Amino acid sequence: MGRRVNVIGVGMTKFAKPGASDDYHVMASAAGRAALEDAGVAFSEIEQAYAGYVYGDSTCGQRAVYELGLTGIPVFNVNNNCSTGSTALMLARQAVEGGLCECVIAIGFEKMEKGALGSKFTDRTNPVERHALVMSEVQGFTQAPPAAQMFGGAGREYQWKHGTKRETFAKISEKARKHAAKNPYAIFNQPLTVDEVLASDPVYDPLTRYQCCPPTCGAAAAVLCSDDFAKKHGIAKPVYIAAQAMTTDLPSSFEPKSMIKMVGYDMAAGAAKKVYEKAGLGPQDVQVVELHDCFTANELLTYEALGLCKEGEAEKFIWDGDNTYGGKFVTNPSGGLLSKGHPLGATGLAQCTELVWQLRGQAGDRQVPSAHVALQHNLGLGGACVVTMYRRD
Amino acid sequence: MSDLRFDQRVAIVTGAGGGLGRSHALLLASRGARVVVNDLGGSATGGGKSSAAADRVVEEIKKAGGEAVANYDSVEDGAKIVQTALDTWGRLDIVVNNAGILRDTSFQKMTQEDWELIYRIHVLGSFRVTHAAWNHLRDAGYGRIVFTASAAGIYGNFGQANYSMAKLGLLGLSNTLAIEGRKKNVLVNTIAPIAGSRLTETVLPKELVDALKPEFVSPLVAYLCHESCEETGGLYEVGGGFMGKLRWERSEGHCFKLSKLVTPDAVAAKWSAIAGFEKTTHPTDITASMQPILGNLGTAKSKGGGNELIDVDEALGFELPPVTSSYDERDLALYALGVGAGQNPLDGKELGLVYENWGDGFHALGSFAVVPALNAIMSLAKQGKQAPGLNYGLERILHGEQYTEIRKPLPPRAKLTHKARIKDIFDKGKHALVVTEIKTLDESGEELAVNELTAFVRGAGGWGGERGPSAEVNVPPDRAPDAVVTEKTSPGQALLYRLSGDWNPLHADPGFAKAFGFERPILHGLCTFGYATRHVIANFAGGDPRLFKSIKVRFADTVFPGETIVTEMWKESDTRIVFRCKVAERDRVALSNAAIELFSEIPRPKAAEPAATAPAAAPAGEIHAADIFLTLRQYIADHPELVGKVGTVFQFKFAEPPGAWALDLKNGAGAVTEGTVGGADVTLELADADFVGMAMGKLNPQKLYFGGKLKISGNVMASQKLDFLTKIDPAELQKAAVKAGRIPGSTPGGAPAAGPPAAGGSQASMSAAIFGGIKGYVEAHPELAGKVGTVFQFKLSEPESAWAIDLKNGGGTVISGAVEKPDVTLSLSDSDFVAMCTGQADPQKLYFGGKLKLSGNVMAAQKLDFLKKIDPAEVAKAMTSKKPAAPAATAAPPAAPKEAKSPAIFKALEERLAKNPKLAAEVGKLVQFAVSSPDRSWVVDLRSGAGAVREGTDAQAAATFRIDDEDLAVLAKDPQKAKDLFMHGKLRVDGDIRLAHKLGFLNGL
Repeated sequence: MGRRVNVIGVGMTKFAKPGASDDYHVMASAAGRAALEDAGVAFSEIEQAYAGYVYGDSTCGQRAVYELGLTGIPVFNVNNNCSTGSTALMLARQAVEGGLCECVIAIGFEKMEKGALGSKFTDRTNPVERHALVMSEVQGFTQAPPAAQMFGGAGREYQWKHGTKRETFAKISEKARKHAAKNPYAIFNQPLTVDEVLASDPVYDPLTRYQCCPPTCGAAAAVLCSDDFAKKHGIAKPVYIAAQAMTTDLPSSFEPKSMIKMVGYDMAAGAAKKVYEKAGLGPQDVQVVELHDCFTANELLTYEALGLCKEGEAEKFIWDGDNTYGGKFVTNPSGGLLSKGHPLGATGLAQCTELVWQLRGQAGDRQVPSAHVALQHNLGLGGACVVTMYRRD
Repeated sequence: MSDLRFDQRVAIVTGAGGGLGRSHALLLASRGARVVVNDLGGSATGGGKSSAAADRVVEEIKKAGGEAVANYDSVEDGAKIVQTALDTWGRLDIVVNNAGILRDTSFQKMTQEDWELIYRIHVLGSFRVTHAAWNHLRDAGYGRIVFTASAAGIYGNFGQANYSMAKLGLLGLSNTLAIEGRKKNVLVNTIAPIAGSRLTETVLPKELVDALKPEFVSPLVAYLCHESCEETGGLYEVGGGFMGKLRWERSEGHCFKLSKLVTPDAVAAKWSAIAGFEKTTHPTDITASMQPILGNLGTAKSKGGGNELIDVDEALGFELPPVTSSYDERDLALYALGVGAGQNPLDGKELGLVYENWGDGFHALGSFAVVPALNAIMSLAKQGKQAPGLNYGLERILHGEQYTEIRKPLPPRAKLTHKARIKDIFDKGKHALVVTEIKTLDESGEELAVNELTAFVRGAGGWGGERGPSAEVNVPPDRAPDAVVTEKTSPGQALLYRLSGDWNPLHADPGFAKAFGFERPILHGLCTFGYATRHVIANFAGGDPRLFKSIKVRFADTVFPGETIVTEMWKESDTRIVFRCKVAERDRVALSNAAIELFSEIPRPKAAEPAATAPAAAPAGEIHAADIFLTLRQYIADHPELVGKVGTVFQFKFAEPPGAWALDLKNGAGAVTEGTVGGADVTLELADADFVGMAMGKLNPQKLYFGGKLKISGNVMASQKLDFLTKIDPAELQKAAVKAGRIPGSTPGGAPAAGPPAAGGSQASMSAAIFGGIKGYVEAHPELAGKVGTVFQFKLSEPESAWAIDLKNGGGTVISGAVEKPDVTLSLSDSDFVAMCTGQADPQKLYFGGKLKLSGNVMAAQKLDFLKKIDPAEVAKAMTSKKPAAPAATAAPPAAPKEAKSPAIFKALEERLAKNPKLAAEVGKLVQFAVSSPDRSWVVDLRSGAGAVREGTDAQAAATFRIDDEDLAVLAKDPQKAKDLFMHGKLRVDGDIRLAHKLGFLNGL
C-alpha cells in the first residue's frame, strides 16, 4: 500500500465549440495555472507533469507545460482515447503514491474538429477494429457516426433485454442539461425537455442528436501531492484519492458478441469493483458521481456497471430521479459530457475538477449537499476505463 | 591516439637540404624513419654544388637521435641516391620527390635552356629517382612515393611556363604509377604545396612567405608515406595550415549523333550543354571518362538521318503528351452549319445534323472527328509542345493531306483523350512530308477515331531519306461521275467554320490574307472536306451520317468563300466512294485523290473491353464490376458532394475474373480509375459478382465479410461509407452493361411483342416485356383505339428496338418494328421508356431534358397519358411472365410496384388464431404492425379470447412494430430473427419492446 495522494488544486477552462476556443497550449496552461493557484503551489515545486491529449502531434504536452515555466522537469505525453485525462491523473497518482515525487501536475486538453469522431490515420490498422467487427456482426455498419452506432447499439441491446423506452434515454439528456444550466464552465446552458430531445435529428435509434456529446475544446488540470507536501504547505483537509483502478478490455468485450460488453460494461464493472474493495466503501457510501455519458445510452449502462442500481433497473432509477438532486446520487452535476462537453483529453481531469469542488463545498448552485465521497468513471473505446473514488474527511 | 611511426622504414627525400625537403626529412626522421638526405647543394636556380646543406640536415637529425645519411648527387643521377639507401640500410620504403629549381621568366623571354633545365631537374630527376626505386619497392611489396607538383601547374602562373609544364607532368606520371603500383602496394600521391621555401621567395611577398612554413606541409607528406594510409593517385593542395584534395569535374556534356555530320555550328548550338556545369560528373578513371562515348555508340546505327529542319531519329515515333477535350451537341451542330448543313431547314436529313431534338435522331457528321483532334494538336503547339527534331516553323508547313476514320458513329457528346505520335516522315526531295497520327479515345478508353494529318514541309527534304509511297491513290476512274453535287458556299462560310476551332486569321482577316498573297480570306480546306462528306452521305448512304467510316483527301487548291463546290463522286463499291471537289467558278480541283468509306451497317457498340474488365470467360448478359465503375464515373460527376462526404479512397481488387478499380472520393472532383492506386484508405478484395451484388443492394457487405468473401484491409471503418453504391440507379447500370455489349438489345423486327422471348437464354430488354404488357392492355380495352386515334412509333436506343402502338386502326394493337405512317415518332432510350411507363419519369420532363425526341404530330404525344392508366401490376405481371429467367446478378428491374406480402401473412395469422385460441393468451396484448413498402397497417388484438386480426391502426396498441414488408416476411419465417432485425434497425418498436420477444405467433406464416 503506497502513500496517500491528495488533490490539492484543480482548474479548468470554460468548454467551447470547435473553432471558438484558444489554441491548445493556451487552454492547457490556463487550466494548469488555475490548478496551481488553487493549490497555492508555484510551478517550480512541480516535479513531473502528465499531459493528456488525443489529437495533436507529439510533445504538445511540453508545448503546453512550457507556458507554465521552463523548469526542465519530465513531461509525459499521455494518449488513451476518451479516458486520456484520467489516465494522466492515474500516472500522476502513481508517481506520488509510490514515493517517486512529492508534487506533480496532470493536465488534459483537447482542441477538436467539428463533426463526429473519425479515424485520423487511414494507412494502418484501426485500433478499434476488433470492436467494430463485433458491431458489424451484431448490427451491421451504417452511415451514422461510428461511436454513435456503437453506444446506440448497446442501448438497443439493453432496450431489447429490458424493454426500455426511448423516453428513458432522452430523460438523461434532460437531466444533463438541467445540471449544466448551473455550470458556467459547460458548453450548453439551455435546458431541454424530453420531447425536444426526442424530436432532435435521429442519429442511431434510440439516440437522437441531443443524446450525443458534442465535439468540444477545453482543458482541465489537477495538482497532486503527498501528505508531507500538503502538511509543509499548510493545506488542511485536502481531497484525497481513496482508490483508483484502470481496466482494459477483457475477452467478454469481443465474445460473446454483445454491444453492451463491447462498449466497456465489464471494464467499468471490473474497475468499480476494485475501487470499492480497495477503499472499503461501496456505492451506497457515494453521494456524487461524474460518469462517462458520451451518449445517454452509456450513462444508463454505467449506472448498473458502477452498482448505482441493480441490473435491469436503470429505467426505474432514472424515472425515480435517483440520478439527480434529491435522489440517491447526483450523477454528472457538471452536466457531464453531454452538456458540459467532451474535450477528449480534458474530460477525465474536468470530472476530477468537478468532484473536488463538490467535496470542498465549492460547487455553488449545483453543490450536492454533504458530499464527502465522490466517484469518477472515465471510459475510452479501444479501450480503457478508469474509476476513481475521492474523499474528504 | 598513437603516433604514426616510421620505425625501420627507409626514406629518400630529394632536395632535403633546406625548405620543404629539410622539413619532410626532419619529420620522418623524428618518427623513426632512416632518411637519405639528398641535396646537390646548388642554388635555387640550379647553379653550383655543395655538400653543406645535406650535411647540416643529417647533423640535425642525428642530434635529435635519428638516423640519416647524406647524399650529394643530382636527381638526374637518381640511381645513385637509391643506391645510397640500399648500401646504408639494405632497403627502401619511401621516396619523396621534392628537389626542384626555378627559372622564372615570361614566355617570350624564355630560353631553351630555361625550359630544358626545369624539365631535367623536375621531370627527368623525379623519373630517374623513382625509376631506380621502383623495382625495389615492387619486389618488397611495399612503397610510398610522393611527387611534388604546384598550383602553378594546376592553374598556371605568369612567368612559370616551364615550371608549370614540369609540375603537371609529374601529376601525369604520378597518376599512372598509382595504377601500376597499386597491386604491389606501392602507393603514389602528389602534393601541390605552397610554402615559404627558397623557391617561392621570388614570386611571393616576404610577409606571406614567412607565414607559409614548410612545417605545415610535411605532416601531409608524412601521412601519405605512412603504411596506414591507403590513398593512391591523389592530388592535394597543402600549405599555410590548409590541406585539400582535388578531383576532376566534367560537365554532363552533349552527345552528337554519330550518324550525322557534326558541324561547328552544331557545337556552337550545344555550347551550354558542352561547357555548362549545371550537371556534372567526376570521372576517376579512364573507364568513367569513356562512359558517355560508349553510350553514344548506339547512335551510329541509325539510318533515319535528316537535316537541320528535320531529325528523323528524334522525331519519328515520338508520342506527344495526351490532350483531353470534350464536345457536345452544340459543337456538332455548329460544325455541321460550318460545312453547309441546314441550308434547307425543312430537309429532315440535314436537320438531324443540326437540331439536337430532331425526332428521327440527332447524329454527328462523322468528318467532325478531325476537329477535336486537330484542335488538340494546335493546343499542344501553342504550348510549345512539339515533337523533338521537327525544327521548322508554321510558316513552312501546309496541310497536305488528311485522313480521318471513326470506329463507330460519334456520340452526341463525349469527353475525349487525344494521343498523337509522329507516324511517318518522308523525304520528297526538295520538300518533306510529316505524318502525325492522332488517336482519339472516349471516356471508357475505347478508340473512337483516328486521324492522320500529313503536313507538307516546304524546303525540308533532301537528306536522302525514304521517299514514301509514290503511287497516286484514289484516282477517279475514266468515266463520268456516278453522282455530282453542286453547292454554292456562303460568302461568310469561313467565318462560320472557324468557330469550330481553326482560328487562323488567313480565313477571316482580309489584310492577313493579302499578306499571304490571297485576294481575300480563303475557305478552310477542312471545310470543303466537310462539304464533300455531306455530299457523299446524301448520295451513297441514304442520308444516314452514321454510315460514314472514313475520308481521305489531298488539299490541292484553295476555295474562296462564296464559290461553288462541285463534288464529283464515283462509286467503287457499296462502301467506297472516290471523289474530287472542284471550284465551279475557276474550274480548279480543290480536293483531289479523295475517297470516303462507308460502314456496310451502322456499327454497334463493341463488346471488346480490356481483359481486366471483361475477360472472355465472362458470361454474356451480366453486369460486371467494370460496368458499375463506368456508371460510377458519371454518378460521381453528377454528385460532386460525395467527395466531401465520403472522403475516402477505396481500392477494389476483384477475383473471378481478376481486376482492380480505384474509387477516389477524397481528392479533387473524385475519380474512378482502373487498376491500383497509391494512398488508398481501404482495400476491399472480393469476387466480381459479389461486388455487383453488393453494389446493387442484393448482398450485404457485412455478410460477405463474415463469410470470408470480402477481405478488408486498411481503414476498416471506411468501408461503411460504401452505402452510396446502392443509390445508383439500376437502369444506369444496365445501360453501362449494354454499352459494354454484355446485355444484347432486342433488335428491330425481332421477337413479336406477345411472342416468346428471344431464344438462347439471352435477356430480352425490359421494354419488350412492357410492350407485351401494353399489348395485353390495349387488346383488353378496345375502346382506347377510338378515343386516342393515333399511331405511335417508338424508336428506342440502348439497346435499339422499334415498336408501334396503333390506337387508330381496328381494335388497336402493338406491333414490333417500324410502321409505315406513324402520327408521331418518339425516340428515347430503352431505360427512359421503362421509367416513363412505370411512372418514374414524366414524358414532358424527358422531352425538355432532351431525352425524348418527337417528330411528326408532336401534340399527339400528349395522348400518351393512357400509358399511366395501365395498372402497373399488370405491366409488372407482363414483365415477369415475359422475362426469361435472369441470372441473379442482372439489373434489378426498375421498381415495378411490389406485391405486398403482409396481407397473406396476416390472413394466415387470423386463421392460425382461430385454430389455436391459446396463442393469444401467451401474449395478452394488443399490438400493431406498421408495414412499409408497400405500406399497410395491421392490428393484432391478443388481449382476450382467440384474438383478432384486422387491417388498420389502434391507439391502444401496447407496441407498434414498424417493419418493411420484405422484413416482415423474414420475421414470419423465423421470429428468432426479431432481435437481429431490431439490432439492425429494421424492426422498430414503439411501446413495449419486450413484446417483440413474443412474436412466435408469426412463426411459419
